[in-house]
Amino acid sequence: MLRAALVDAQLARPPRGLWGDAARRLRRNRPAMVGLICITLFASAAILAPFIAPFDPYAMNGSSLDAPSLTHLFGTDLLGRDIFSRVLYGAQISLFVGVGAVAIALVLGGVLGAIAGGFGGRIDGVIMRTTDVFLSIPSILLAIGIVTALGRGMPQLMLAIAVSYAPTFARLLRGSLLALREADYVVAARTIGASRMRILVRHMLPNALTPLIVQATLVLATAIIDIAGLGFLGLGPSDPRTPEWGTMLVDARRFMQSAPHIVVFIGGAIVISAIGFNLLGDGLRESLDPKLKR
Amino acid sequence: MGRYIVRRLIAAIPVLIGLSILLFAYIRILPGDPCVAILGQHRTPEACAALRENLGLDLPLWEQYIRYLTNTLSGDLGASVINSQPFLAEFLTRFPGTVELTIGALVFALGAGIPLGRIAARKVGGRVDGLITGVSLFGVSIPVFVLGLALVAVFGVILEWLPTQGRIDARARFDATSGLLLIDTLFAGRLDLFVDVVRHLILPSIALGSIPLAIIARITRASVIEVVNEDYVRTARSKGLKEKTVDNRHVMRNAWLPVTTVVGLQAGGLLGGAVLTETVFVWNGVGRWVVDAIQNRDYPIVQSTILVFALIFLVVNLLVDIGYALLNPKIRYQ
Amino acid sequence: MKNLRIGAILGALLMVAAACSSTPVGKAGGTLIVALPGDIVRTDAALMDDSNTSYVIQQVVETLVGLEPGSTSKVIPVLAESYVMSADGLTYTFKLRSGIKFHDGTEFNADAVVFNYERFIGLPTELRDYAFYIGDIFGGYGSESNLESATKIDDLTVAIKLRKASSNFLLTQTLQVFAIQSPTALVLGKADNTETDVAKITAATGGAGAMVGTGPFKFVKWTVGDSVEVEKNAEYWDKAKVAYVDAIIFKAVAEEAQRVNGLATGEIDLAQTIAPATIAAIAANPDLQLIDRGSSFNTFQISMNHTYAPISNPKIREAIAYAIDYDFLIETFYAGAAVRATNWMPAGVAYAKDLNLPGYDVEKAKQLIEESGETDLTIDFWYPNDVSRPYMPDPKGLFEAITANLEAVGFTINPNSDGWREGYLDDENQGKYEMWLLGWTGDWAGPDNFLKTAFFGYKNGAPSKEFAYKNDALDKAMNDALAAGTEAEAKTLWETAQDLIRADMPTVPVANSKPQAAATIDLKGFIGSAALNEPLNLVWLDRP
Repeated sequence: MLRAALVDAQLARPPRGLWGDAARRLRRNRPAMVGLICITLFASAAILAPFIAPFDPYAMNGSSLDAPSLTHLFGTDLLGRDIFSRVLYGAQISLFVGVGAVAIALVLGGVLGAIAGGFGGRIDGVIMRTTDVFLSIPSILLAIGIVTALGRGMPQLMLAIAVSYAPTFARLLRGSLLALREADYVVAARTIGASRMRILVRHMLPNALTPLIVQATLVLATAIIDIAGLGFLGLGPSDPRTPEWGTMLVDARRFMQSAPHIVVFIGGAIVISAIGFNLLGDGLRESLDPKLKR
Repeated sequence: MGRYIVRRLIAAIPVLIGLSILLFAYIRILPGDPCVAILGQHRTPEACAALRENLGLDLPLWEQYIRYLTNTLSGDLGASVINSQPFLAEFLTRFPGTVELTIGALVFALGAGIPLGRIAARKVGGRVDGLITGVSLFGVSIPVFVLGLALVAVFGVILEWLPTQGRIDARARFDATSGLLLIDTLFAGRLDLFVDVVRHLILPSIALGSIPLAIIARITRASVIEVVNEDYVRTARSKGLKEKTVDNRHVMRNAWLPVTTVVGLQAGGLLGGAVLTETVFVWNGVGRWVVDAIQNRDYPIVQSTILVFALIFLVVNLLVDIGYALLNPKIRYQ
Repeated sequence: MKNLRIGAILGALLMVAAACSSTPVGKAGGTLIVALPGDIVRTDAALMDDSNTSYVIQQVVETLVGLEPGSTSKVIPVLAESYVMSADGLTYTFKLRSGIKFHDGTEFNADAVVFNYERFIGLPTELRDYAFYIGDIFGGYGSESNLESATKIDDLTVAIKLRKASSNFLLTQTLQVFAIQSPTALVLGKADNTETDVAKITAATGGAGAMVGTGPFKFVKWTVGDSVEVEKNAEYWDKAKVAYVDAIIFKAVAEEAQRVNGLATGEIDLAQTIAPATIAAIAANPDLQLIDRGSSFNTFQISMNHTYAPISNPKIREAIAYAIDYDFLIETFYAGAAVRATNWMPAGVAYAKDLNLPGYDVEKAKQLIEESGETDLTIDFWYPNDVSRPYMPDPKGLFEAITANLEAVGFTINPNSDGWREGYLDDENQGKYEMWLLGWTGDWAGPDNFLKTAFFGYKNGAPSKEFAYKNDALDKAMNDALAAGTEAEAKTLWETAQDLIRADMPTVPVANSKPQAAATIDLKGFIGSAALNEPLNLVWLDRP
């Protein structure tokens, strides 16, 4: 037992080097920094919305379809609500639902992947075939199916997106775990007689997490787009007043000819946040995987 | 090779069974009384009872599942609850539209993505590389429906360069035979209509192809960079072969493999993207149909569309894997 | 008819000539592209109850009698040359026009009319849900139907016998569901009451025998989910009204924005319905024209169920009426193409008077809430999330604005929504909603159609589950009015009924909308009708 712990201490995770290194590389990666700026913009809009939004996003405080002005930076919508404030609060929803969905997907996919990759055998087979079933359905259709079955609402939306991403995470983690099985330090730990569970948790998982983190960042971009897509199809939050970007876009498209700026602002918000996560995801991949160094 | 294919086919069976259970469960857990959904507000109790009997809703669950399975296997994929049109026939009339759109998107993605990736790889880190990376980043980050709206507004309504909806000029009253209008118009000797069909295809293809374009450009760039540093390419270059020859004969030939894989992987994404693209462009394909079905709560159509999309996805993946195995013998023995 | 729209219905509708009212000398030729908000459902006139199908089918089939153009209540002969009613009001004898042929070349005659009417009477049980209006108008089928028989007198004379006299018989026969279709085609398409599975009736699913009538256009094909094509019937019996255009293609364009885009790019010639939100863009485009259909024939209201508190309190209902910013709603969601409701029926319906309904007054609303003594001001409020109706072009937006109005005076709103077809209509009808958005488009121009049929008439001797509005005096007044012997008596009774309703404010009427159409500027000869009774044979395209 003591020996095992000793080995753990020595073998677990390559020394702080990897993350320290990665952070340094990330800081030197210009695109990733741009991504970080986009995300900061997005996240601070989301978190600070109650403080920086000039108006109540639900209140009708302007006349209908005002053009952008100093009072209403993005103009007003049909009901005279301030679009800038609504876009800010929309970030909150996208961030909340997006991060929530990806977190659920990570946990769900992570557990399944860890079981499959860590234990192998029949469980592995069952889990992998199950993920195959879900992966064979285009993710937007899967999400649509789940929302129609569960009814509209934010938790449902979150769950729908989570379920459509979880299989990817499961497979990814399983793949890395399988690759790690034969890694020197894992073999070493095994020869010393560390338990399977211990090896999995202490030695393999920490090293298999890297691709998962990269993937999670990239998937956040897709999640934001998918949430808007569901909103666009009329499957957004149940309260129609919710300033969800996709739902707002449906309303705005009717004014595509008379007030095109609304679509531009809302579409722009979606694009900027998605770009942010995509850039950061790429940056993370490059910095965490020294092999990809140019 | 034969054994490899057989093994892959056998491996697909549990997936198909899982899929059928999932879809069977889906229809059962939907909210609301199927009677209301199917017969609407004017329904009579007698009609309702007849419907339940007909659908077997009072049977035990496992019997209902067996019924569903036998019906599906015998090609009975249900019918619309709105207009009673059978699923399969309707699917087949729309599928060519989706196929044409998907091919259009792929052609756009490959046609633009590969050259862009090659150009970017030529001078890594240069200004052009940065620009191309930026464009492809934009491509993956913009939702198809936002891009679609923008394309319609700019190239359709403002510039009036291209049509904004449908697959062909309705005024032509063209009678399609196969449903693949690109082929049908050519066979009918209507070059003017062929051009019209191509024009209708352009905007939706760009909207749908933007994500694959970005991914293909990226992969091409990465694999070209990788290959360029391989010994045989250096050798070829040091032999004094012209840059263009090296590119075509050595670099691209080896960069194709990952590109093929990505194209295969994108199949599912394209089918999913078609759902939104077809809605924006009033495109008569499976995607718009399934959106209409969702809006009309026409669940049998939704259920069977998911089933068929999944089947297509599995088949495409199988084909890609087989193609891959043919190209790369190492895989077969793993 | 709250969710359905049938053309060719009588009413106090005005037919307005959009372009030219005198007979235009149009240009023949061309294909007309018409955008409808949705696809048709079936291709059999009898088995239909929705507005898209009826809009297409009216171009192809014809009824024995129709409405005089420009008038909305005057019945004129169409396929019948003339008709007489027996003294007891039970038998109508139709003299048919001679020399008319169906599109399949067969003869239109007494046998054809008898065949169709016998089909209406004997429609199989399984199909009755699809033929809502036939059952509704005649009170059932077979021996329960008020339609007793249709008998051939000679080749061009038919007698239709009723079980009891019905003053609206002729008016109802102008509905397209009573169109005369070719018996040969109906047999061919299994629409002869032998087949009970609607999926196998090819006449209804666009296959063999579909839509074979006598009208100015012939059915060509239905691309399900996408479009319907009809072409000019060059042998149309009314030589003066042979169609100008060679063909019409009805495209289902659900996206409101794409209807306007299509008009702007010339891909669409006529958009049958446009979203008020797009009116500004159309008005600003010199290549397009807006088409006003004249007066309104509908009512949009905030519906309420009196079993729930605080809605059960009349002061609360009155307060809600004062809380709504009507002008804002009309300006914002109807782009001005609606008028403030002054009654539960649109002005123009017989006996309708201005009931002096509450206007927007926040202080008054708050005061009434105070007086009501209610402390729990929470209301469950519903809207349909997947449709728009002529009287309610943007349910979600209207819901949001009304909710904001109500919250401004102190109510707490629980927002709810459901799919129109799946649950909304059913649940509100069963009395499951406390407050919800709904309206009514008229079937006929009588006050009974709005006040009694649509809204507050008792069902089976008791207040409807829908509104749970109990007012015995009102129910009696309305029944007496229908049976009234003289015009003056009817007028007094209907006015009493309206006053009784006003005193209780059972629901809050909001607006009467005027659904607009739009077309390219070179579309001529279009005559709009608030009931969407718009034959397109006299429409022509003024382009080279």
